[in-house]
Amino acid sequence: MSSNPALNEARDTFFAESREMLQVIEDTLLALESNAADDETINALFRAAHTIKGSAGLFDFERIVRFTHVVESVLQRVRDGAIRLLPPLVSLLLVCGDQIAALLAEAEADTLAKSPAPHPNTDAHGAELVAQLNDYLAPAAAGGALLRTADPIAEPVPAAHGGVASEHWHISVRFGPDVLRNGMDPLSFVRYLGSLGRLISVSTVFDGMPDAATMDPETCYLGFEIALMTDADRQTIADAFEFVRDDCALRILPPHSKLAEYVQLIAAMPEDDIRLGELLVRSGSLTEAELAAGLSAQGQRRVPGEAPPQLGEILLGQQSVEAPVLNAALDKQLRVRERVAQESRFVRVRADKLDQLINLVGELVVASAGVNLRALALKDAALQEATASLTHLVEQIRDDALQLRMVQLAETFNRFNRIVRDTARELGKEIELQIEGGDTELDKTMVEKLADPLMHLVRNAIDHGIEAPEVRAAAGKPRCGTLTLAACHDSGSIVITVRDDGAGLSRERLLKKGIERGLVAPGDQLSDSEVFNLIFAPGFSTAQTVTELSGRGVGMDVVKRNIQALRGVVSLGSEPGRGTTVTMRLPLTLAIIDGFLVGVAGAMFVVPQELVIECIEAPALDLQQDYLNLRGEVLPFLRLDQMLGSVGEPVATRNTRRSSVVVVRTGSGKAGLLVDSLHGEFHTVIKPLGKLFQNIRGVSDATILGNGEVALVLDVSALVGSAATRLQGGTVPAHGSRALAQAV
Amino acid sequence: MIQISSEAGRSVARLEGEFTIYQAAESKPPLMAAIADSEELEINLAGVTEIDSAGLQLLLLAKREALRTGKSVRLVAHSEATLAVIDLLGLAGYFGDPLVLRA
Amino acid sequence: MSALTQTAPARLQAGESGETSRQYLAFMLGGELYAVEILRIKEIIEYGALTTVPMMPSFVRGVINLRGSVLPVIDLQARFGRAPTQVAKRTCIVIVEIHSDAEDAASQSQTIGVMVDAVNEVVEINANQIEPPPSFGVKIRPDFIAGMGKLGKQFVILLELDKVLSVDEMASLAVQSASAPAAEQALLERNAGD
Repeated sequence: MSSNPALNEARDTFFAESREMLQVIEDTLLALESNAADDETINALFRAAHTIKGSAGLFDFERIVRFTHVVESVLQRVRDGAIRLLPPLVSLLLVCGDQIAALLAEAEADTLAKSPAPHPNTDAHGAELVAQLNDYLAPAAAGGALLRTADPIAEPVPAAHGGVASEHWHISVRFGPDVLRNGMDPLSFVRYLGSLGRLISVSTVFDGMPDAATMDPETCYLGFEIALMTDADRQTIADAFEFVRDDCALRILPPHSKLAEYVQLIAAMPEDDIRLGELLVRSGSLTEAELAAGLSAQGQRRVPGEAPPQLGEILLGQQSVEAPVLNAALDKQLRVRERVAQESRFVRVRADKLDQLINLVGELVVASAGVNLRALALKDAALQEATASLTHLVEQIRDDALQLRMVQLAETFNRFNRIVRDTARELGKEIELQIEGGDTELDKTMVEKLADPLMHLVRNAIDHGIEAPEVRAAAGKPRCGTLTLAACHDSGSIVITVRDDGAGLSRERLLKKGIERGLVAPGDQLSDSEVFNLIFAPGFSTAQTVTELSGRGVGMDVVKRNIQALRGVVSLGSEPGRGTTVTMRLPLTLAIIDGFLVGVAGAMFVVPQELVIECIEAPALDLQQDYLNLRGEVLPFLRLDQMLGSVGEPVATRNTRRSSVVVVRTGSGKAGLLVDSLHGEFHTVIKPLGKLFQNIRGVSDATILGNGEVALVLDVSALVGSAATRLQGGTVPAHGSRALAQAV
Repeated sequence: MIQISSEAGRSVARLEGEFTIYQAAESKPPLMAAIADSEELEINLAGVTEIDSAGLQLLLLAKREALRTGKSVRLVAHSEATLAVIDLLGLAGYFGDPLVLRA
Repeated sequence: MSALTQTAPARLQAGESGETSRQYLAFMLGGELYAVEILRIKEIIEYGALTTVPMMPSFVRGVINLRGSVLPVIDLQARFGRAPTQVAKRTCIVIVEIHSDAEDAASQSQTIGVMVDAVNEVVEINANQIEPPPSFGVKIRPDFIAGMGKLGKQFVILLELDKVLSVDEMASLAVQSASAPAAEQALLERNAGD
C-alpha cells in the first residue's frame, strides 16, 4: 500500500524473516516431542514469538500482533515454569504456528491489494485457538494481580540469607517499541517511582536505538536500571507500571536479594555491548566508589610490558565482587561478542542480484576463453602463459560465485518432519523420519524444484509404502516404520534417496498392470529392475484406492519428468516385505554444465558430463543392428546423425568414418550415442533456449563455446525415449529396442 | 519548533516550545541534517517548555551520532524542563555539557 | 558483428502532418518491400555464426549468440511459406522485440532475430497513408499484415510482427515438424496460403 520503497523492502524482509522464525518454532516444537525441554530451547521459542510480534507491530499488522501476543504470553508462562510443555500444548502451539503463517500470508496479500479484505475464516479459527491458549493462561488468575506482569517479582530475603549488601530495590525495565505511540511516556514512570521514595540512581539504556537513518522518532528505544530506596511494598512498585504492563520487560529485585537474582538479571538484560564495570554498577552490586577503587588499582598495578589486568581480575583480587556475579557478567559479555560475530557472518542477498552476478561471470569465462584461443593462435608463449593464468583465475571466480547459490538440503529435508508427523498420524501409522547428509549442498534453484517431487515420494512412502503398525508387528517388524531422506555427492553429481522399510513393491502386481496397460507384452522377459521402473510410465497407478494424499493419476511419471527437467535420472528398487528405495541423481547446478563436446554431422553438441560413463571407438557396424557388445553387455545405441537430422550434410549409407560411441547413464541402465567425433570436456554456462524451442525433445538448452558459437545440449533421456517410442510402432522389434524401452 | 542557523562558524539549533512526541517526527530530519552539515552543533534548549521521552530520544540520538562521526554536539541554555529530565535520568554525564544547577 | 546505420534521411510523406505518423524500417525480402515499426527494432547485425537447431521447421534458421544471450533467428521467407532465403552479401539479421500476452511477465516480451535480404532505410508513414490489406493478391497470410503503407508510388507491406513471430504459434509448429518432416512442408504451405 505504501509507495515508499524503503518501507516496502523492510516489510518484505519482515515477511521473509517471520517465516524463517516460524520454521524455527516448528522445528523446535517437533524436537520437543522427543526430547525434554531445556531453558535454552524454551527461550528460543519465546524470543521467536516475541520478535514476530514486535516486528509485526512496527508495520501495524494488528491481527498478527494480537494473536502472537497470546502465544507469547503462554510461552512466557512456560519460561517461568508456571506451565509445562507437554504434548497437548506442543500440538496446540504447532497449530498456532500455522495460524500465524496464515495471518502473515493474508497480511502480505492485503498489502498488495488496493484495500484489505476481511478474513472471517482465519479470524474464526484464531478465536478458537485463543480460547484454547487462554485455558493455559487462566489457572494463575487465582494467584492474584501478579499474573499480568511481564516478569516475576522476587521475594524479599533478609540479609542473613546471603543477599547482597545493597539496601535499595533494583528495578530493571525495558520499554517496548509502541509505548510512545500508545500515549505513554517512560519518563512519567520514572518520576512516579521517585515519588515512592528516593531514586538512588537511574541509568538510561538505549542500546536498542538503531542508526540515525533507521531510527523512528515515534518508536521507544528506552530502558532503565533504577536503584530505589523506598518503604513501599513490592505490589505498589509493580503497580507503578500498570499501564504499560504488556508493553515492557520488567524485573524488580527487593533489597538484600540473593546473589542468584542478580546473576539472573544480568543474563536477562537485552543485548548491549556494555563494559563490565558499568554492568556491575547498574546492577547495584558495586558502588561507584568500589569501581573507582578498582580502576585506580588497575592503573597502579600495570608492569611495563605486561598487558593491563582485566577489570574483572582486579575486582576479584580486591574481593569486592561476588565471584558468580562476576562470571555471569563476563559470560554475558563473551556471549554478546560471539553473537555479534555470528550475526555478521551472514549477509542477506537478493537472489536476482546473485543471478546477475553469475551471468556476468559466465560472460567473463567465455571472454577469457576467447582470449586464450587468440593467444594459442598467435603462438606467443609468454602471452599463452598469461592467458592461461587469467583463465584459471576466472574459473575460480566462477566456481566461487556458483558456490554462493548453494544451499544445504537440510532445510528442505527438515520441513518433512512436520509433514511426516501429521500425515502418519492421520493414517494411524507410526513413522519416524531420518535424515542423512543434510549438509549436502545443492544449487538454490534446484532445491526449490526438488520440493515437489520429494513431497510426492514421501507421501507415497507414507501412504503406500509403510504398513500400519499392526501389520508390521504381525510381520515381525518394529511397529514404527522408518522413512529415510539421504543425500550425498558422487562423482560430480548429487544422489538423493527416499528409502522406506515398508512393504516394498510386488513384482507380480506391477507386471500385471504393465501388461494391462499395454506397456509389456505377455511373454516378455523382464528383469526386476525393468519391472519396477514401469511405475514411471504415465497413468500407472497400482494403489487400490487413489487416496487424496497422492492425488489422482499424478503419479511417478510426474516425478520423473520433474527430475528430468533438472537434467537428472530417477530409478527405483524394491525388496518385497523389506522396503523401497527411490534414487535420484542430479547435477550439482543447472547454471553451468560440465559437458562433453561431440560432433555429429558437422554440428557440435554437448552431452552432460554426469551422464557419461565412458567413450569407446565404434567397431565397424552392421547397419541392421542398433546395439553392440560392451564387454558382454548389450548396449543399445542411438544414431544421432539420423535423429538430429536436417543438420548439415546428408547421411551416408555406410559408416565409413571412424565413429565413436559415448556410453551414457539412463534411468535404469545404459545407452550409447553414436557420434562422428569427440572434442573433450567443457565447463560452460548454460543459456536457456527460449519458449520457441520448448517443444523439441532431444535438445534441452544451449551453451556458448569459447569461440562464441552456440552449442546445443542434448537431452539424453528424451532422445532415448523418442527412439523407443518410434521403435515400438515398428514391425519386429529388435532385442535392442526392448532394452531401449526399459531404459526410458 | 526547531530553527537552524549559523553563528560564528558553528551551527545552532534552537528548540522552541514543546519537544515531545508530537514534534518528534518532524524535528528529526533537520536535526540530523544540521549534524551532518557542520563540525560543531550547538542545541539551544532555552525555549523548551516541555520535553518527553520522544524528545529526549532525539537528543540522545544527536549526541550519539556526533560521537559516532567525530563531531561535536553541545546542549546549552537548558530550560527547567530539560534540566529536570536530564537530572532525573542521570544523563548529565552522558551529554557532558556544563549544567547550571539549581541551588 | 557491426550495426548498420541508417543510409538516408527519413522520407516524409506529402500530406497533412498533425496526424499520427510513425517511423518504420523498410527492408527487402525476395524482391518485395516490407516494413516494421522502428520502435520494435533493437539493433541490426551482420549475418553469421548461426548454430542450427534440429527438429525445428525450416523457418527457424538457428540460434546466435548476441552478447551472451542465445536468440533464435527466423527466416521470414520460409515463414511465409516460400523457399528459404539465400544468404547474400547484404543479408543481415534484424533483432526485434515482440510481445505476447503470456501470463508470466518473463515471457511477455521476447527478443528474436529476423533474417532479411537487405535493409533499406527508415521511412515515416502517416496513419492516413495506410490502407487495409486486400483480401487476396498479397501472397502472405492476411493476419501477418498490419496494413499497406503508401510510399510515393509504391506500396510497402507493413508487418504485424507479433503475429508473424508469434512464439506460441511457431513453437507448436515445431512439434508437428519433429514428428513428420515430410508433412511439415505441406503444413507450412497451407498455413502460409490461408
